[in-house]
Amino acid sequence: MRQIIAKRLSMLVLVLLGVTLITFFLSHVIPGDPARMMVGQRASEETLQEVRRQLGLDQPVWVQYFTYMQGLLAGDFGNSIRTQQPVVDDLIKFFPATLELALTAFIIAIVIGIPIGILSAVKKDTGWDHTGRFFSIAGISTPVFWSGLIGILIFYKFFDLLPSSGRIDLTVTPPTTITGLYLFDSLVTGNWAAFGNSLWHLALPACTLAFAQLAIVTRQVRASMLEVLGQEYIRTALANGIHGPVLLFRYALRNALIPTITVVGLSFGSLLGGAVVTETIFSWPGMGKYVVESIAFLDFPAIMGFTFVISFGYVIINLLVDLTYYALDPQIKE
Amino acid sequence: MKRRWSFSFPSLLLVLSLLVAACSGTPANQAQGDAKPAENKPAEPAKTAASSTPADTLFVGITADQGTLDPAVTFDNGAWKITYPAYQRLVEYDGATTEVKPGLAKEWKVSDDGLNWTFTLAEGNKFADGTPVTAEAVKFTFDRTLKIKKGPADVYSVIKEVKVDSPTSVTFVLSKNFPPFLSTLAANYGGIVNPKVMEKEQNGDLGQNYLANNTMGSGPYQLTEWRKGEYIKLTVNPNSSVKPALQNIFFKIIPDATAQRLQLEQGEIDIAEGIPNEQLKALKDSPNIDVLQQPSLFVDYIYVNSSKGNEALKNPKVRQALSYAIDYDALTESVQEGYATQMRGPIPKGLWGYDESSFQYKRDVEKAKSLLAEAGVSNLTLDLLYSDNKAWWETEALALQAFFSDIGVKLNLKKIAYATSREMIDKGEFDLAMGVWSPDFGDPYMFMNYWFDSVNFGLAGNRAFYKNDKVDELVRKAASVNDKAEREKLYQEAQKIVIDEAPYLYLYQKDFLLPVSKSVKGFVYNPMLEGIYNLAEMSK
Repeated sequence: MRQIIAKRLSMLVLVLLGVTLITFFLSHVIPGDPARMMVGQRASEETLQEVRRQLGLDQPVWVQYFTYMQGLLAGDFGNSIRTQQPVVDDLIKFFPATLELALTAFIIAIVIGIPIGILSAVKKDTGWDHTGRFFSIAGISTPVFWSGLIGILIFYKFFDLLPSSGRIDLTVTPPTTITGLYLFDSLVTGNWAAFGNSLWHLALPACTLAFAQLAIVTRQVRASMLEVLGQEYIRTALANGIHGPVLLFRYALRNALIPTITVVGLSFGSLLGGAVVTETIFSWPGMGKYVVESIAFLDFPAIMGFTFVISFGYVIINLLVDLTYYALDPQIKE
Repeated sequence: MKRRWSFSFPSLLLVLSLLVAACSGTPANQAQGDAKPAENKPAEPAKTAASSTPADTLFVGITADQGTLDPAVTFDNGAWKITYPAYQRLVEYDGATTEVKPGLAKEWKVSDDGLNWTFTLAEGNKFADGTPVTAEAVKFTFDRTLKIKKGPADVYSVIKEVKVDSPTSVTFVLSKNFPPFLSTLAANYGGIVNPKVMEKEQNGDLGQNYLANNTMGSGPYQLTEWRKGEYIKLTVNPNSSVKPALQNIFFKIIPDATAQRLQLEQGEIDIAEGIPNEQLKALKDSPNIDVLQQPSLFVDYIYVNSSKGNEALKNPKVRQALSYAIDYDALTESVQEGYATQMRGPIPKGLWGYDESSFQYKRDVEKAKSLLAEAGVSNLTLDLLYSDNKAWWETEALALQAFFSDIGVKLNLKKIAYATSREMIDKGEFDLAMGVWSPDFGDPYMFMNYWFDSVNFGLAGNRAFYKNDKVDELVRKAASVNDKAEREKLYQEAQKIVIDEAPYLYLYQKDFLLPVSKSVKGFVYNPMLEGIYNLAEMSK
């Protein structure tokens, strides 16, 4: 087990190296010049060159890459061209918001998705199943920008129940930062006003994001449950008088969850990187929104930092998924 | 089996909304949600009572978070809306005009050769920390900007030296006469910075890192809170002599246009900057919202290559014929939804030097044809160069193609990459090309000297490669005297010639549009300060 983890972790270094290499060169070959963005359209050539020198853009690309990597190894992502702040500081501000949104959506999707999936499989071809599948189809085929806006129209405009933007009211002081996750921090510090307020703000974006994820979970659980339920050991178990919840949860679900974990795990990765649209619609101050603004400014240190963190997250999730495999399926242990 | 799938749309909405209601946070609200089934609701009008904002606080919806706020670094209008009210300048733009009035300086004089500008500071202005604004602070500000050597330094490259004559008097020594100098001082980069910023210096950055996220000026407001990605908050500078009605300003970052519109309609924000033109038409009918509409100084025009392109274009009659071929109203309607104003020569409406009595081209196909005949030109084929830099250029190119075919001129559309198009324009490798222009400072110099002086051939500004000795003489003279009335006369004389000779097709000025809640009072739009609010004079 330890060997496997060590091996996977060394692979991780290679993957991240590849990611930095590709992102760096991609962000340098796209046309456009961040120095030009800074100095304005009519600046003199002299000023332009001076700013390029200050940003290190006058060096050959590979020299720039090595300088960047040197910094990265020391934990320095460089300074954002747009905000002039260390990229690390920006990421520390924005990552928790994205993580909180993605985690909440993920939990909602799992908690609702798995039971619906099981129900659909067990009550195959009944009204339950059709309703469940209808949900899946609706969730997977509804773009987030649409379901998000419908949500805002209903709960913000018509009922005025939920806020349409932000993490917390302007008048409410955010909880003392421990992890940066408002729900967690306010819970730990016992700040109930902040807890209620941020939960209230989280509801709409998290449900919107969960709606799309829900479909993936439900469909996967249903499909694997159906497959498992048709297998011989289930029939054997049935013949031995095992039925009801014991059969379903102890015998069938455990096996059905293995493929589900892969799909769900990877979908969590895409939640982290792909919450961009949701964050935009709900003015959620997360990384997605930050990177979109950075791309518009060709702010490559920020783009690099974002890509690095997301790839890192993805690789770690992959590792966790595989480890869960080992825990669930004794056959893979060799 | 199929019939089970026949869910109707309302029931989908119902199911959807119940699902989301089930996940919603506060129990009190949930109860309310349960009491109102979704299916009959959408027809009901929205209620706004719950979300009206306090009268001493202004909420402005902006589309993106800001970059650095350092006046010596930023060249971005978005940041200027935060910094402009936080700093004061020696002179300020006067109301809605592009002329300047006293600011920190109560008076100023310029030497006859135009090289020495001396400003006398008004007493009693203080930075937000209580430090008085002195001549030393003025010198410090400009020295700092020039040392930082970023975009704003380029604007002030004409400054040779800043001399402190006394605590209330400061002299700028210029390397050459530059009449628009006064106007550059009213721009955002002219904001006077508290010299105490040096206490915040890190690694010799002259406080750039600190000022990227903080303000240290003497303006009526100061930045007090910036929750990245969420909002930027300004509050009143306690040491300012101005006592504004609005105590708090929130610039709320709302990237999505529809979300902004909903929040404006609900009264949660007072001004929404991110709503596209096509949605503004609908907003105009809303009872609580005004849509302000003013011509901006952003112009869209066509360079007619007058010396390096098609031979026929060297003849002013051909260029006039092209100007007569265009249906200007139809053009602005199709490419700008009508939110644009036809130009009347190079100097746009709203900038001083604009001449209301100057000649304006109107569509006249017969006249255009006879001008072409007089010039002895027939079967003319021209190339129109443009890029994807502006989304509307494609439509505009097609419209021009249709207009020109009416007078028998065939227009080939050549759409190429932006970077390449810039290079070709610089070298003069085109017949006609599309362009946009907006001024950096409120002076006709930005248009007349850049566009027509023959030393500026190419990207520098004279993109029509137009040379007329009389025009050269007039605009150069206008750039060498400091008497405004005389300059205005010279520019208007030059303008008459360049309208007649038509080296550019003067199309339109885009309109500045802003949806504002009817409760907001006192906003004055200044075309040089687009996107900047005169917060200290506004109220609710």
